[in-house]
Amino acid sequence: MDKALQHAASTIDAALLARVVKGDQQAFSQLYDHSSVLLFSLAVRILGNHEEAADLVQDVYLEIWRKVSRYDIGRGTPDAWLVTLTKSRAIDRLRAKGTQGSRAINPPETTTAVQVTDPDPIPLGTQADQDLRSAVGAALAGLPQAQQQAIELAYYGGLSYGEIAAQLNQPLWTVKTRIKLGMTKLQAALKQWQNEGSPQ
Amino acid sequence: MKHEELEESVPLYAAGALDRVERQALEAHLLSGCASCHSTLKDYQSIAALLPLALSPSKPPRSLKAKIMAERSPEPIPAQSVPSDPARSSLDPGDWMDHLFPPEAPVQSAALPWALGVGLLLIVAVGGYFVWDVWTQRSSDIAKIQQLEAALLEKSTKLAGVDREVGDQTKALADLRNELQQRAHEAAETKERLAQRETDLEETRTQLIQRSGGRTVETPQDEFATLLRIPNVNAISLIGSDIAKQATGFLLYDSRIQKVWLYSVNLPECPTGTTYQLWAIQDKPVSIGTFRVDTGETTHLLVKKVLNFTLAKTFGVSLEPSGGRSQPTEPMYLLSRS
Repeated sequence: MDKALQHAASTIDAALLARVVKGDQQAFSQLYDHSSVLLFSLAVRILGNHEEAADLVQDVYLEIWRKVSRYDIGRGTPDAWLVTLTKSRAIDRLRAKGTQGSRAINPPETTTAVQVTDPDPIPLGTQADQDLRSAVGAALAGLPQAQQQAIELAYYGGLSYGEIAAQLNQPLWTVKTRIKLGMTKLQAALKQWQNEGSPQ
Repeated sequence: MKHEELEESVPLYAAGALDRVERQALEAHLLSGCASCHSTLKDYQSIAALLPLALSPSKPPRSLKAKIMAERSPEPIPAQSVPSDPARSSLDPGDWMDHLFPPEAPVQSAALPWALGVGLLLIVAVGGYFVWDVWTQRSSDIAKIQQLEAALLEKSTKLAGVDREVGDQTKALADLRNELQQRAHEAAETKERLAQRETDLEETRTQLIQRSGGRTVETPQDEFATLLRIPNVNAISLIGSDIAKQATGFLLYDSRIQKVWLYSVNLPECPTGTTYQLWAIQDKPVSIGTFRVDTGETTHLLVKKVLNFTLAKTFGVSLEPSGGRSQPTEPMYLLSRS
């Protein structure tokens, strides 16, 4: 992905993270407000449980606070760092539970109840954030079902392509190709979205 | 794994789909400084980081923020003092950026340059030794190959020499065989000519018989000539004694027909009232027959029918009174060689 797309894909301002690095508690609070929904959604999707997800997200933010000084904008967007950290911790926890196979296939808990019963609306971010969400959703939905399934089993289930092949009873190379093709199509679709004039 | 294989595994790495071994292989490759794979991974990691945006958003519990804010330490830990957690997986999500994009700031540990230097030196030393060992082994192998090639060339030369000798001998053998065939052919032709001559002789003899009115005309000389061609006839040579040194004789004996031929040459003329007598001497002399040599006669052929005397060892001719005697009374003129 080129830098323009990376910039467009970032929902968190790098300057905000820079303030956090300096120990700005207000900035850390804003960082939480900007990213917690995304990270919590990811944790719920992987762990399939709100309480565990909340516990995990708490650990992740504490780790962010401790290690934020190591972050360098030149190495990746703030979103990438936070998402990758959260995903990794969630997968570790999932593996520790030994239930990654079933969790990956089962659909995650719906958030409908939370949305309905919670009087506070979910922050949707800027229009650019919403456009980006739509673009990613469209790109993922545009993949063939088999490719989408293979990517989600790997990404959210923490399964290797060998484990996915065994679970789906498919040849190794088939699963490998599905993931590779899927990732490549996602990259192409998002680049096209960027080139067609996404909000900067 | 080859670079192409590793680069192809980058999208799977970003999606988290590689197993532990493959993941570690790619990480080692990335840490070796492959800029191409670094760039590719950065792109795919950015894509992977966007995937959660497609999820239905879930709002965390309201109390969570307060707990986090309460439990965090007063200040973020400076980068230099962030401890590493050895119990974590090889490439944590927060660490992958550090792994793949090392900070440009001065290295954190003063011992690191020394360790890197020593490590590099060790690698160079091991690599140099390996190259030297391979080169030495290769030189030794080349020398062995050259020796084998020289030995092979020598053997080939010898083999070529042996081949030439065998070829020469084969040619000589073929020449001998041809010559032998030629001789056999000539012998066959000679035999054929001889048979033709005998046929001609037989025809001539038949014509003579017809001209003589059916009587068989066979002179002693003819019979003697025929005897010479019969292989079963015994031939005995006689020489003259002191009283007839010029005389010689030749005796033929055919046991099948019990017949003797004596051909004498240069025997003295028989005086009146005498005759030559031929003796076969075994235990004692046995008379075979008598003959005369008249004036002017230098040769004489005696043909006699006799009994079997194959045991006779000696033959002789003596001059006896006319009519002959039962035992020799005079010295021998001719005597066979013992």
